[in-house]
Order: sequence, then structure tokens, then C-alpha cells
Amino acid sequence: MLDQASAITSGPVRQVHDFKSGNEAAALAARDIGFHVMGYFPITPSTEVAENLSKMQANGEHDIVMIPADGEHGAAGICYGAALGGGRVLNATSSQGLLYALEQLPVQSGTRVPMVLNVSTRTVSGPLDIRCDHSDIYFVLNAGWIILMARDPQAVYDMNFCAIRIGEHADVRLPVIVAYDGFLTSHQKRRIERFDDADAVKAFLGEREDPYTALDPGKPVTFGPYMNDPDLINNKVQQHEAMEAARRVIPEIFAEFAELSGRDYRTVDAYRMDDAEVALMLLNTAAENAKEVADRLRDEGKKVGVVSPNMLRPFPTSEIRSLLKNVRAVVVGDRGDSYGAEGGNLSLEVRAALQQDPDNQTLVMSRVYGLGGKDFYDADAEELFREALTAAETGKVEVPFEYHGAYAGDGDAGPPQGLPPISKEEVSRGMATVTPNPETSKLEVELKPLWEMTTTPSRIAPGHGACPGCGFFPMLRQAYNVLEGHIVVLFQTGCAMVTTTGYPKTAHRITYIHNLFQNGAATVSGLVEMYHERVRRGEIPAAPEGEDITFIMVTGDGGMDIGMGAALGTANRNHKMIILEYDNQGYMNTGSQLSYATPFGHRTSTSEVGSSMSGKRFHHKDTPQIFAACNLPYVFTASEGYPEDFMRKMSKAQWYAQREGLVYGKVLSFCPLNWRTPDDAAQEVLQAAIDSCFFPLYEVEKGSTHITYDPDAIGRRRPVADWLGMMGKTRHILAPGHADQLEMTEQEVEKRWRRIKIKSEHPEL
Amino acid sequence: MTRDSSDRSGADFFEIRFESIGGLGAHVAGKIVAGAAVLRMNMNGSHFSSYGSEKKGSVVRSFIRLAPADRSIRTSAPIEEPDVIVVFHSGLLAHPATLSGLKADGTLIYAGHENEIPEWLKRVPKSAKVVRVDAQTIAFEEKSRENAVLIGALAAAVPELDRQAVCEELEATFAGKNGHIVESNGRAFKRGADEAEIIENVGRVEGDVPTMQSHPAWGYKSAPIGGVLPTPGNTAYNDLQTSRTGWMPVLARDKCIDCGMCDMVCPDLCLVWSTHVDADGKPGVTLDGIDYQYCKGCMRCVETCSTGAITREAELPGMADELRVPLFPGLAATAGDRHA
Ligand SMILES: Cc1ncc(C[n+]2csc(CCOP(=O)(O)OP(=O)(O)O)c2C)c(N)n1
Ligand code: SF4
Ligand code: SF4
Ligand code: SF4
Ligand SMILES: [Mg+2]
Repeated sequence: MLDQASAITSGPVRQVHDFKSGNEAAALAARDIGFHVMGYFPITPSTEVAENLSKMQANGEHDIVMIPADGEHGAAGICYGAALGGGRVLNATSSQGLLYALEQLPVQSGTRVPMVLNVSTRTVSGPLDIRCDHSDIYFVLNAGWIILMARDPQAVYDMNFCAIRIGEHADVRLPVIVAYDGFLTSHQKRRIERFDDADAVKAFLGEREDPYTALDPGKPVTFGPYMNDPDLINNKVQQHEAMEAARRVIPEIFAEFAELSGRDYRTVDAYRMDDAEVALMLLNTAAENAKEVADRLRDEGKKVGVVSPNMLRPFPTSEIRSLLKNVRAVVVGDRGDSYGAEGGNLSLEVRAALQQDPDNQTLVMSRVYGLGGKDFYDADAEELFREALTAAETGKVEVPFEYHGAYAGDGDAGPPQGLPPISKEEVSRGMATVTPNPETSKLEVELKPLWEMTTTPSRIAPGHGACPGCGFFPMLRQAYNVLEGHIVVLFQTGCAMVTTTGYPKTAHRITYIHNLFQNGAATVSGLVEMYHERVRRGEIPAAPEGEDITFIMVTGDGGMDIGMGAALGTANRNHKMIILEYDNQGYMNTGSQLSYATPFGHRTSTSEVGSSMSGKRFHHKDTPQIFAACNLPYVFTASEGYPEDFMRKMSKAQWYAQREGLVYGKVLSFCPLNWRTPDDAAQEVLQAAIDSCFFPLYEVEKGSTHITYDPDAIGRRRPVADWLGMMGKTRHILAPGHADQLEMTEQEVEKRWRRIKIKSEHPEL
Repeated sequence: MTRDSSDRSGADFFEIRFESIGGLGAHVAGKIVAGAAVLRMNMNGSHFSSYGSEKKGSVVRSFIRLAPADRSIRTSAPIEEPDVIVVFHSGLLAHPATLSGLKADGTLIYAGHENEIPEWLKRVPKSAKVVRVDAQTIAFEEKSRENAVLIGALAAAVPELDRQAVCEELEATFAGKNGHIVESNGRAFKRGADEAEIIENVGRVEGDVPTMQSHPAWGYKSAPIGGVLPTPGNTAYNDLQTSRTGWMPVLARDKCIDCGMCDMVCPDLCLVWSTHVDADGKPGVTLDGIDYQYCKGCMRCVETCSTGAITREAELPGMADELRVPLFPGLAATAGDRHA
């Protein structure tokens, strides 16, 4: 916001002061650079880059084409394709997202297609942890991308500009990563300076020039031929040479950038190293913390300094060699281990760099610190300095490699033990009786009255961390009311997973597994088959008919975007299991970004509302119909606001999953936080979604469709506008000037409802 | 400016820590205060919050580190020894970590109703300044939020901050929204500044409050491998009381027909039932009450009950303890342990 910032006139180019986080700085840089296309998929802590850009876009501040991918693999594909077209391309990701994209990264570098990827670093799973370390970025060291490190929000802003120039340089032509510490930089606001001089920026960036593009039909080219030996090795020599050229080009671009901005970056940031005898080498924020401590130790007369590379690829080998030439001992801190290598990647590469200098005498110690976001305080830096000082004094390294800051534990201490297991009998109380009707060959269900269900022991314990009013838990409770016998659940990543298993506590009283939401369905299918095979081999006792363990894969709607491939594969194989989707219409765990299930026009943090944009741009995914097309024994929709209907369907689901194969169910699940409603509005909002036919309640049993609640038939049909008017995320659709949007919503709802109706009227559909 | 500047370190930061729960606006409040300092008071500053996954009701800390304009801020570590602590919910004062590290000459500001002086204030340094402001009532009356009231109190209580600058930054933050939001926030801010009350003679601690070093329950020698939790349902030990924001559901037994509908919708699984057999041999259930240890006060039960047996009532101190029916009798809670 310009009005908040004060102008700086002293620098070579006009700039303004601002107060921004790393993610905000990345978004501002993107706006100021004017990328053509961004392909992205949300993941903490980098999500805010796309969110900030969405907000700016809604206000007409840029015209970057923002493409919400179905997952990071898709996002990387979008970016690759876009970059082949010769424009400027941006992406932002972290952790598992980077790993999920990994497969595409060497493809892009090997075919020499520049773009910029901001990585807000975060530890990789498992177990899942959203905080900072460098284990994700260490995975891409071999991907062939240039990797710049940005130690604070200012550097994030600046490096994005440099990345364009470096990557697009004719001698380089490589994609570039800008890596900054998750939360510590991505979410920490600092004072920054940003450009306020579009012409100067434009002159600095120049135009992107591609020797080949996929958008010049007059000059046809083949990208990515089938290349075996003896050619591939030669292609890799070119790639190696490009990286070597980057060694030369990067300092040149940094120098040009210093002329433009007044901010002078080196390939290696060296602090008080001129006469240092002892050094601490760290990346990004930890190095900044260490500088404070270095000052203090200098006051004590200790000759210490801090070394911190501003790039990991190419690795600044010779700079490090010369900086450490006269250093007696260095501690290299790694925020990530290379298990079994006796050092994290930074330590290993520093050792390798020094080994090439026959005169070098520096003692090197390797310490793994700060994993999973463990804070790095002054005291930690001081301890590492003192270890290096001791080594320098004694001329000896006592412990070449160890973890710093881990906790051994305290004897018998531990979290509370938990609740006793629930016996099969306690949860097999016949709350729903399922009987096949031989005439129709469909199932019929008789439910016990609700009051009788209240004393069924809950397989989920209270004390979980969800928001007040969250609809997931009523849904789960209702499902558990009617499901009989033993159950094993897998939750894909999402609110339900995060709120029930905050270590060292779990709300699950039955066996629970988490896998990332790309792959939960496949994981359960493997477990199901192992169960049946071990039963067959007599290793696990066989259960009477209909009493096998029931396997349920619980997913959010978002998990049915990124995990769609695995889920459809699982569905096509028809394993005996249930996929239960709670649909809260967005990626809520990461702060409400659009999912493909988010309806048209709804506001999310990546489909903002403003003068230039009005919520999500495409209609919601019809997931039940996709699964119905897999010819499953049973597919249903339900709402947590209509328990009897849902519980009937759930008991059928168990019957089919025990005997015939895969069941898919989608349950509309209230999210007051992100739907922007009062916490107690579930009933009316869910009812309106159903009565307006936005969310029809139906089932597809053995291929034939049956509507279980028909608002038309009972005279309860209401306009979609009634429903939209109840939620803060949709109210704008009813405002003047949005008539088109309302009409398009109405038409889509009516079209889909009519189709279901027609299907339900025909016995074979 | 070269990017490896050589400022000298020293204890020249002014540091503020907000202790809150998700939904009360501590993060935005921190952003406003730090933004005011950096953009309007010509200071250097940083701001960040400690939350992980942003669920409403979970514990949130927000940190503001300020320095003179020419002093670079390099550390990104959380604030351990703050000059000021602002507590957004008086329930948080029960946790020793809330006051961890408060300096002897520091300031504590807490949200508390009139005359609400929690016994935990004895953990404050004797020489520190203690300020109470009724953030909840003021926010309610002004149709604003607690955060506006609390930063008003903060800006007035701390001479290092310029009240006018903070107020302007507050306005700028909400400038894009409806005019009435800016106005109501402005009024809440002003009342926070004007109605904050200094509480004398409550602290008992000599010198600084020691910084709390907390260890995880398990370490690498004791934790089961692979992160496995062989402790089914041990979230039942959590105490989530602070998630409620002034209101609680209350059951009137005489109106309840034990229909079970509320049990279908309660997200926190905290309705307590018992079984019995009628005089004529028929089994039945009774809704005995609510376990407030888990109840987050969403009022879905109230909304669903067709007989009006559960109603929404203002929560007064001690009420939950008195009315609570424990779901797992004999299970000792570990207060406020919420890792979401
Ligand atoms: C590969 C990968 N990409 C992104 C994420 C970040 N992420 C975690 S949960 C989530 C959203 C899940 O949405 P949904 O399945 O609808 O569940 P909800 O959070 O709404 O409950 C995202 C994007 C991740 N953990 N892993
Ligand atoms: S964000 Fe929504 S879905 Fe997630 S815990 Fe909160 S209410 Fe539930
Ligand atoms: S919904 Fe009302 S009447 Fe029914 S059991 Fe609950 S409190 Fe009693
Ligand atoms: S207010 Fe009612 S529905 Fe909500 S958590 Fe408390 S008891 Fe459950
Ligand atoms: Mg979702």
C-alpha cells in the first residue's frame, strides 16, 4: 500500500520503505516483475505468495495469469508448459509440495527452460511438520536448478529480480529457485525497500529472449526428444557448463542489481571474517541470529565470524575455500541431515571444497540443528561458536558430527496413556440393520432412534483442536454410531488430520494412519490387500462373514484434487474399502484456498473478491459423478446436517465394503471459520444448500441412481440465493452488479440437478 | 547499504509479546503495532506470530521487536524476555508460560472484566506495571474486537509507543473495509486507552520472571520410534476451556426429553449420557449434562434442541466448574494443551 510507505529519494532508483514478510515480498516482486503466468498449489508456509497475489489481482494490481493446479506435480507441469511458451513464469511451494514437484524439476533444467520458483523452506514428512528446516531444499540439490538463498524479506524481494536475469542469461538458461526460511522469513515482517520506478525495473529486467519457443509455428522445433546413449551425456555436459557459467554470471548480475538498488549481495555472505580464526557457517535466518552473537564474542576478544552462502547451486566452492583459508575451526550447521553421511549436505560440500585445497588446515565440525522448526536462539549460536573455539584452541575435533538441541527424554515421563481400547462388542450394537431386498437387489436399512445411539462409545475422543462448530466431527460421530466392529482409518492431510493428532496426543481410539493427501487411497488399498492375504495365510484370524475389519480412507475435498489419481486407481481396482470425503468446499487446513470443489464465485484466499475479480472462476467438481463412472457398488452424497440419511448410507457403505468392493461417499461438512458464518449456523446453511439443490442428496447403488431427499417433491425447493445469502464467503454474489454470477450459479445448479433427476427416473442410470 | 552490515549488538531492543488464542485477533494487532512503529514512528521493527495451523481457539503468540531506525534487526527467534506482555484472554494467565520472562520493570496488560484480578497475577514481578482492561465488554459494546481495545490500552500504557501513530495504523489496516468498521475500531481503541486501569500491588516476584524452559513429554530415548502414538484417545486429557469466548451452553434438565439430537451435532463430543431401565423394564438414556472441559461454546447444541432445554448463557467465573459433568470421571486434565 503506497500510502503507508514513505519514499526514499537517496538511492540510485526511486524506492519506498515498507513493512513486509518474505511471502509478501515475493508477491510484491512478482507484481513488480509482471510475470506472465503463475502455476501453484497451496502448501504452508509458501501459500501466502499466491494468496497475496490473488488479493492484488482482485484489486486490479497485476495481470499475472494465476492457475490453481490440482497438486504440485500439476503446478510444475503448468509452469513448464508456460515457460516453454517463452514468457516469465512463477511458482511457490514448500516441503512435500517441492518433493511432489521434484520429478518435473530435472525435466525443466535438462531442457533448459528458465522460470522462478520461490521455496519457503519447510521440513519434509513424515511425521508431518509444517515448520522450517532445509530438508526440502536439500532434496533438490541434484535437480539442476540454480538455488539462491534469501536470508530476510528484503533478500526475497531482491533475489526474485536477480533470478530472472540469471536464469534467462544466454549462457545459463536454467530455472532458478529462491529459497527462504519458512515462517522465520516467510511470515516475519521486516522493514524493506521496494522499487517505485517501473521504468528502471523494466530496464533492469529487459525482455525475455528464448532461442526456441513452443509458440512460434513458423519455426517448428521438437522439445524433449527421445535421447539415449551416446547423446545424453553430452546434453549433461551442456547443463554442467550452464551451471559453471552461472558462477560467473551471478556476481555480474548481483553487481548490476547493486547499482540499481544500492543493495550489494555476494555469493557468500561473510560477516567479520577478515581476521576470523573461528567461524560458524549457517544458511539464512540462523546465520543472521549468529551475527548478533558474533558481535558479542568479538567484544570478549574472540576472533569469530559468520559465513553464509547466498547460493547453493552453483555451490560457491572457491569463495568458501578462500574465506576459510586462515580459519582454524568451523562449525557447519545443517538444518537437515543426509542420513548416514555423517553430515548434512552443507557440511559435506564444505568438507569437499576444503579437501581440494592441499594447504587447508581448517577443522570442520558438522552439527544438525533446528529441525522441524526448532527455534535457534542466541544461546544455540553461542554454544556452536564455543565448540568451534574449543577445537581451535585444542587443535582437535572431539565430535565430528552430532545433533544439536535434541532432547533425550526424562525417564518414565511421557504424555498421558490414553483411554482403554473399545471392544468389538461395545460398538456392534445394531444401531442400523441392513437387509438386502431380493426383489430390488438393493439394501434396506432400519435405524434405531437417535437417543439409543448416544451411548455408543465414540471411536473419536474429545479434546481435539478443531474450531468451534467444525462439521467434521459431527460427521465422524454419526458415521461411527452405525459402523460395527473393528475399523482402521486413514486420514489424508487436512483439518481433520491436523486437529486430531497434535503430538503427543491423538483423538483416535482406533488404529489410525496418516498419509499425505496425494496417496491415501492407494495406501489403504495396500493395507486392505495385506489384511486379506494374511487372513488367507492364517496369520490373522479370519472373521465371520461381514465382520472383517472395515477400512476407511477419510479425505477432505482437496484430497480429491491432488489425490484424485490415486483414488480413481483404487476405485477402478475395486478394493473392499470406503472413501469418505468431508466436503468443506476448500483447502481449509492451509487457510481456505480454493479447491476444485469450491463452488463458482465463492470467496477464498486464492479466489478473492474485488473490483477485478469476484471469487472462484470455475464451477465445482462433481466428484460423486466421477466415482459413479467407475461403476462402483455404491456411491452416495450426504450432509452432516441430516444425520439419519447419512447414517443409513454409511451402514450400506459398510455392507458393500465388506462384501463387494469400494464405496465412495461425499458429505457436506460445515466450516464456520471459512464459510464466514456464526459457529452455530450449520443447520440452516446445510439445509439451504440441500433445499436449493446445490447439493443433492442421492445414492448410486449398483449403477442406478436414487434421490434420497427431493426438495421439489416435498415443496421445499428454495432459490440458490437463499443459501448464498447466509455465508460471508458468498454474499457478494447477491450484490448489485453480480447478476451474471448468480444466474450462472443457478443455471449450473439446475443443470446438474436435472441430470440427477433424469438418472433417478431411469432404472439403468 | 551493503547486505552484510556491521551493526553492533546490545540489549537495545524493545520487545512485546502477545499471548492469545486464535480468533481474538492477536496477529493482526501485532502487525498494527509493529507497522505503526516502522512506518509511522521511524523505528526499525519485526513482527511474527507463533501459530501453526490456524484453527480458531488454539494458543497464539505474537511477537513485536522494535529498535531505533539505524539498528538492524537480524534475529528472528521468538521473544523470551519481553518488556511488555499483553494477555488477550484472562484464562491464559493460569499457564505459567504466559508470563515467562517478563522483565522486572516490564508491563503486563490483560483482558479482564471489572474487578477481575486473577490470583495468578502473583507471578508478575513486584516492580512491574499491571494494567487491566475489559476488552470483551468494550469490544461487544462497540461492535469491534478485543484486539482494538487491547492495542489502545497498550499504546496508552507504554511510552515507547506513539498512541496517535498506532491509531492511524489501525485505521489504515481497515481502510478498505466498511466505514463503520473503522469507526467502531477507533472507538474501541480509544476506550481501551482511556479505560485501562492500573492494578497495584498484585505481583509477588522479585526481579524478572524466569524464562520457562519446557521440554517435550518424550525425547529421543523415550519416544516410540516413527512418531507412533500408542496412546489412543489421549486428547481426552486436554482442557479446551479457553476456546469459549464468554458464552456457554447450559442444560435445563426439566425441559430435556433426551431425544439425542444434540449428540448428533456436538463437534466436541462433550455431552454426557447415562443409561437406565424404566420401571416397566424399558431401557432409556438420560442427558446428564455437559463436560465443559471440552466444550468450545459453538452453540450448535442450542440451535438444534427443539425443546429449548439447552440455552446460551453468559459465562461467569466458576460457572463451568460448578455445572460440569465429567465425561471421564477421574481423568486429570492438562490445562490448555492444544497443539492444533
Ligand atoms: C503435497 C502437498 N501439497 C500441499 C500440502 C498442503 N496441504 C495440507 S492440507 C491441504 C488442504 C487440504 O484440503 P482438504 O483435503 O479439503 O481438507 P481440509 O483442510 O479442507 O480439511 C493442503 C493444501 C501438503 N501437505 N502436501
Ligand atoms: S477450518 Fe473449518 S474445517 Fe478446519 S477445523 Fe476449522 S471449522 Fe473445521
Ligand atoms: S436436543 Fe434438547 S431435548 Fe434433545 S437431548 Fe438434547 S438437550 Fe435434550
Ligand atoms: S456448545 Fe454445545 S455443541 Fe458446542 S461444543 Fe459445547 S456442548 Fe458441544
Ligand atoms: Mg476441504
